[in-house]
Amino acid sequence: MSLLSSILYDMVYHSAPLILAVLGGLFAHKANVLNIGLEGMMLMGAFSSTLFVFLTGSLWVGILLSVLVTLILGLIFSFFGITMKSNFIITGFGINIFVLALSSFILKYMQMANINVSSIVDVTGLKINIPVIKEIPLLGSLLSGHTVITYLSFILIAVTSIVMYSTKFGVYVRVVGENEEAAKSVGINSTTVKYAAVLIGAALCAFAGANLAVERMALFTNNMTAGRGFIAIAAIYCGQARPLKSSIYAIIFGLAKSLAINLALFAGPISGLFEMVPYLMIVIVLFIVSAVETRHNTIRGFKLE
Amino acid sequence: MKKNDTILKNIFNVVFPVACAFVLGGILIAAIGENPFLTYWVMIQKSLFSVDGLLKTLHFASPLILTGLAIAITFKANIFNMGVEGAAVLGGFFACVVGFTVKGLPTVLHIAVCLLTGIVVGMLFSLIPALLKAYFNVNEMVVTLMMNYVVVEIVKFLSQGVFKDPSSGYVSTYPILDSAMFKKIFNSDLTVFFFIALLVFAVMYVVFKKSKLGYEIKAIGKNPEFSEATGMRVKNKIIIIMLISGAIGGLAGSGFLMSEKYRFTMDFSGSPGLGWDGMLIALLGSHNPVGILIAAIFYAALKTGSEYIGVFTNVPKDIVGVIQGLLILLLSVKFLNERFRFSNKIRFLFKKSSKTDFNK
Repeated sequence: MSLLSSILYDMVYHSAPLILAVLGGLFAHKANVLNIGLEGMMLMGAFSSTLFVFLTGSLWVGILLSVLVTLILGLIFSFFGITMKSNFIITGFGINIFVLALSSFILKYMQMANINVSSIVDVTGLKINIPVIKEIPLLGSLLSGHTVITYLSFILIAVTSIVMYSTKFGVYVRVVGENEEAAKSVGINSTTVKYAAVLIGAALCAFAGANLAVERMALFTNNMTAGRGFIAIAAIYCGQARPLKSSIYAIIFGLAKSLAINLALFAGPISGLFEMVPYLMIVIVLFIVSAVETRHNTIRGFKLE
Repeated sequence: MKKNDTILKNIFNVVFPVACAFVLGGILIAAIGENPFLTYWVMIQKSLFSVDGLLKTLHFASPLILTGLAIAITFKANIFNMGVEGAAVLGGFFACVVGFTVKGLPTVLHIAVCLLTGIVVGMLFSLIPALLKAYFNVNEMVVTLMMNYVVVEIVKFLSQGVFKDPSSGYVSTYPILDSAMFKKIFNSDLTVFFFIALLVFAVMYVVFKKSKLGYEIKAIGKNPEFSEATGMRVKNKIIIIMLISGAIGGLAGSGFLMSEKYRFTMDFSGSPGLGWDGMLIALLGSHNPVGILIAAIFYAALKTGSEYIGVFTNVPKDIVGVIQGLLILLLSVKFLNERFRFSNKIRFLFKKSSKTDFNK
């Protein structure tokens, strides 16, 4: 029983940053801007939030500053990708490598192996225990004892659905993504919409990074996002960029991670191999989703996308 | 005149981002209170202005030439194969395993077997995303990225367990046998591996510029559906391109292990790894073999030089990574687009009185 509840708890725990990154990437994806920079933006969020908490000594000021810094990164990405019409994939990779190098550069300069802010941030104090639900065996571990940003991420799934499908902005984003010329012809400023889509993604990635580093562990280590940004992109692909569907894929990947961690305790010597389960699962899920899609494809030869 | 224009434009499109990246890197160095000019001077002086340094640069350029070519061949076909990093790591690891388990072979044969292992492993590795891409249209970028992480975990598991050298203090395999090592030529850092890399470069030059496959790669990169319509078998070509890329990636990893590292450790590929360096090099050389050769030597010079920065200044050597990221970022943009004509601009400067629009 305790194993099951810890699997459930870890599932929520590991899904939260993925969901945030997925929701952030969705807007850009819908606006036809492939944001490979999610990974770098998330790492920037994790790094800068820890750094600013370390420097300012305040949790929320640190997170706020880190959102600002990540927004600047998003602006750089949008400027190169949208205004200068670069190749998004390469720009995104530039962002990823730049952030990775910058964080390890600053860590080396400060002569620290990692940034530890556990003296400032009380990790257990940040967890919100919901009084009654906490006592219910499985539901309690599913719903109670998580951090603010974790709850926020699950609430944001609904918010994103509403924004995407019931507001003017959401319609604009989708129109720009599907047919930019048509959007322009009816007077939508497509550049502004794309910028906004990327910047929303950057802000959410900053939260995802803050959740990953400060809120959960009060610690930043080198390259701590470990491909979560790419997992988010895979989830967006599998879920056809629909908020709920993509988030469900994010939760599935969270579940894979949680299973890998919890079951590795029983695996003995091969427990090291469990680390690769989430990554392998993404390849398999992508394969199944694409195989189902291409099954009814009657076009001869090769068709792109 | 038009051809000259294109060359000038291409050179500007490469030199301008490089200059920008160095200026931005310099600002970062100045921001932490160090002298950027001294730092860059140390970097260049140690890697290019001495015979030893130059040979060392060429030595470190060898795997980079290969990974650059491996990336370029796929990027040119508009396939974003990020698996070169994984292929290099996996190739290096298995070349190492063969290097210390197979005993009693003569040197040349042993080296050949190790290199072949690396190549085969690299090909097998990139066969998976190739098949998925060709037959199921799975996004190759996400798959290769995820497989890189899988490779890291497999290699970590194996080098912590079965192949761990108990005498070493950290996670590391046994060193390869003497017979599998590339010998240093005349006590310099240069080994035969550099010439193997040059040979591969020559072959790839012919493939890119003179062969049917090179033309097909270009056509697929421009428009795969049109290529299919004209009768190319795009699926088969994608698999072939990915296999070549994986083979070169595996060769890069195994050669780097046998000429430099001699044993597999978890930081074998460096940070950022050989594959990511290859991506920068392919971009710097604008997917052109000669450009890649120059870019690889240039970047190897930076890397070699960065080893000495710490001795003379307090700048961490990670500055090279920062510059690399900035470079990729800046190189993704074409600052001068295809309509821009240098000759017109120059003519315009001389004939300012006439107000004709040359861009018409």
